[in-house]
Amino acid sequence: MNIGDVLPPLEIPLTRSLIVATAIASRDYQDVHHDPALAQERGSPDIFMNILTTNGLVDRFVTSWAGPTAVVKRIRIRLGAPNHPGDTMTLTGSVSAIDDRRVTVDVVGTNQVGVHVSGLVEVEL
Amino acid sequence: MSGFSGATAIVGIGATEFSKESGRSELQLACEAVTAAIADAGLRPSDVDGMVTFTAETSAEIHVARNVGIGDLSFFSRVPHGGGAACGTVAHAAAAIHAGLAEVVVCWRAFNERSGERYGLGQADRPMDTNADRAAYAWMTPFGLSTPAQWVGMFARRYMHEYGATSEDFGRISVIDRARAATNPKAHFFGRPITLEEHQASRWIAEPLHLLDCCQETDGGQALVVVSAERARDLPHVPALVVGAAQGSGHDQHMMTSYYRPSISGIPEMGLVGNQLWAQSGLGPSDMQAAVLYDHFTPFVLPQLEELGFCGRGEAADFIRDGHLELDGSLPLNTHGGQLGEAYLHGMNGIAEAVRLVRGTSVNQPGDVRNVVVTAGTGVPTSGLVLGAA
Amino acid sequence: MSAYDDRLAAFVGRPLVALRPAADPVNVPMIRHWVEAMGDTNPRYLGASPVAPASMMQAWTMRGFGAPVVAGGFDELVALLAEGGYTSVVATDSDFEFVREVVPGDHVSVEEVVEAISPEKATGLGAGRFVTTLKTYCDAAGSVVATQRWRTLRFQPVASSPVEPVETPRPRPAVNLDNAFWFEAAREHRLVVQRCLACKTLRHPPGPACPECQSFDWDTVEASGRGTLYSFVVAHHPRHPAFDYPLLIAVVELDEGTRLITNLTGVTADALSIGMPLEVEWLDADPELTLPVFRPVATLEH
Ligand SMILES: [Zn+2]
Repeated sequence: MNIGDVLPPLEIPLTRSLIVATAIASRDYQDVHHDPALAQERGSPDIFMNILTTNGLVDRFVTSWAGPTAVVKRIRIRLGAPNHPGDTMTLTGSVSAIDDRRVTVDVVGTNQVGVHVSGLVEVEL
Repeated sequence: MSGFSGATAIVGIGATEFSKESGRSELQLACEAVTAAIADAGLRPSDVDGMVTFTAETSAEIHVARNVGIGDLSFFSRVPHGGGAACGTVAHAAAAIHAGLAEVVVCWRAFNERSGERYGLGQADRPMDTNADRAAYAWMTPFGLSTPAQWVGMFARRYMHEYGATSEDFGRISVIDRARAATNPKAHFFGRPITLEEHQASRWIAEPLHLLDCCQETDGGQALVVVSAERARDLPHVPALVVGAAQGSGHDQHMMTSYYRPSISGIPEMGLVGNQLWAQSGLGPSDMQAAVLYDHFTPFVLPQLEELGFCGRGEAADFIRDGHLELDGSLPLNTHGGQLGEAYLHGMNGIAEAVRLVRGTSVNQPGDVRNVVVTAGTGVPTSGLVLGAA
Repeated sequence: MSAYDDRLAAFVGRPLVALRPAADPVNVPMIRHWVEAMGDTNPRYLGASPVAPASMMQAWTMRGFGAPVVAGGFDELVALLAEGGYTSVVATDSDFEFVREVVPGDHVSVEEVVEAISPEKATGLGAGRFVTTLKTYCDAAGSVVATQRWRTLRFQPVASSPVEPVETPRPRPAVNLDNAFWFEAAREHRLVVQRCLACKTLRHPPGPACPECQSFDWDTVEASGRGTLYSFVVAHHPRHPAFDYPLLIAVVELDEGTRLITNLTGVTADALSIGMPLEVEWLDADPELTLPVFRPVATLEH
């Protein structure tokens, strides 16, 4: 493994079902993640993915590459363009630092609108 | 009748399943479809010496050939303009065989159009380039005119204005397609017919187009095998003779946005195709027992009926209302369910259905079909076929 | 600082949530639900000795559906923000650091302390304040298993405003040698039409040669800017962030005889009729792009 190594990109179709199912799986019952009418009332064009799910997908993206022996030590993310139903998010990443057993992966997830998430994940191998 | 008419035949058809997420590469889909079509024809991959696909295809013939065991190729070509290419692939194959350039030609199209690059999302953010194809979008995308549904909507609005057609007239095509798909186990919308009321209630995509005026998006592959009529006699299936095969691009043609012609309520490139089909075959509209008309968006089915001569200008809405396109009508339409009901395979699945109609094996076989007309993508330079029984 | 700001500032350093245990210990059914929804097939999570996905930490201590409002700092802060009109919330940043993995049987608790509340900021979502907190997750023995720095934007929703925090420009036209003159003229608020120098035929969209007489020589004429509505669509889906929807897109036939694709302004879809007279208006979309759009000509009819 070397700095600059690129992870295989992961495309995630953002179905309405995915956005609702992941919100519920994370025990996040805020209406903006499952009720389109209330989401619109609150100024959003449609429901959108919750941040717990973005954490989960970024975690999945990096650990599926790092393998089952990897232990996640840090997940830092910043959210941008929301993930709305009907869009697709593509996660890309590359190794930005290696310190003994700890590997840092920079991650970006983009959707049709722009950057949904940017951040880093640190794993211990 | 030209010597070209009936000189070749489609003898094999093969497809993958039609899905929303194939989970496989587009190349694999192409290889599966091509392999299945060659097997259906009773031939071996090594018999193939010609290959034709779309310019839109992402897997060139060399990739498919080396994977499926096709060896030397003496003829290969590609047909441009998206779904307008469909019947053109068979036209190229038939012409090549007729000219002696090849003996066994495979035509195919495969893509992950749902799980991969979705055309319905529009052209707005495609990479910039300054070639003529890309520059053509300079007149559209800065104004937000970016998707096929929007492009077709502009034609449809004018057609409604000139002929008094309504959204319900478009919806009847959708209802017919979904009724046929409902009894086709291979169709995405198997067992799920719709009513005209459901069509009317579906959300707007690009007024005057509702959601249910728009075809689905599909992952899958479809291939066809073309040989000479003489060789076809030795193969297992009833051959579907290529009685007519033509391409057409009209005056002041644009890609989906030919808005600058004196009239935009017709699609003259399809008229050009139709005239050639009838001249080649010596047949006419009344000789067709079925039609597979390109239906990425319902409104363009109406001018197709007019351009091909099944009814007069502006009469298609009445023609449809009179029940001609039903299974027991004079011209059963899209017996597989069309691209609205079965799958969006850039028109290639429609050609396969026409082959089944000639074989007598359609799941919605409307009796004896001697001749069937098939069309390719509308609004673009296009193509068409007449397939017939020997 | 206003009195309102003072009241907000009083929350800084204050625990919003006193140490609160999760409803349930870490358990396999909830892990299964999570990894199924996330599509995560890592064998560690459901194997013989399962561990919980690291990213799931926050989920253990979520309050759940219809949880009763417990009087406390969190709800007091939410109420105070709502008083200021900041009724909507969106999470913007999360920074997890994990001390150890948690496994079924661990019982996680969380404590959340306010670190900062920003002054009001203009954002793409509306005016809002960023609230930064630190969540500390502990096990049953009180040892820290993870920390999470958490930033949310509490904002005043703007009706039908685009949600993107940055403004997306309209798609760029692909400008080349054959069409640059038209976009350059548009920047000067001139609507031009290409004209064949030999036979004087107008043409649009432009091209290098005249289809009527095959001449490659051309100049332009300036159009009157008046025309009629030839056809139109009302675009609803998909939505490109540069535009407001429903979006009116039209083909306008100029009095000079050529047609062009454009947008309509100053009118709603239900007021459109094919053939209605229109006149040009210039849209300076951004520093690089100016486009002609059309609005209905004011008539004397009422
Ligand atoms: Zn000229």
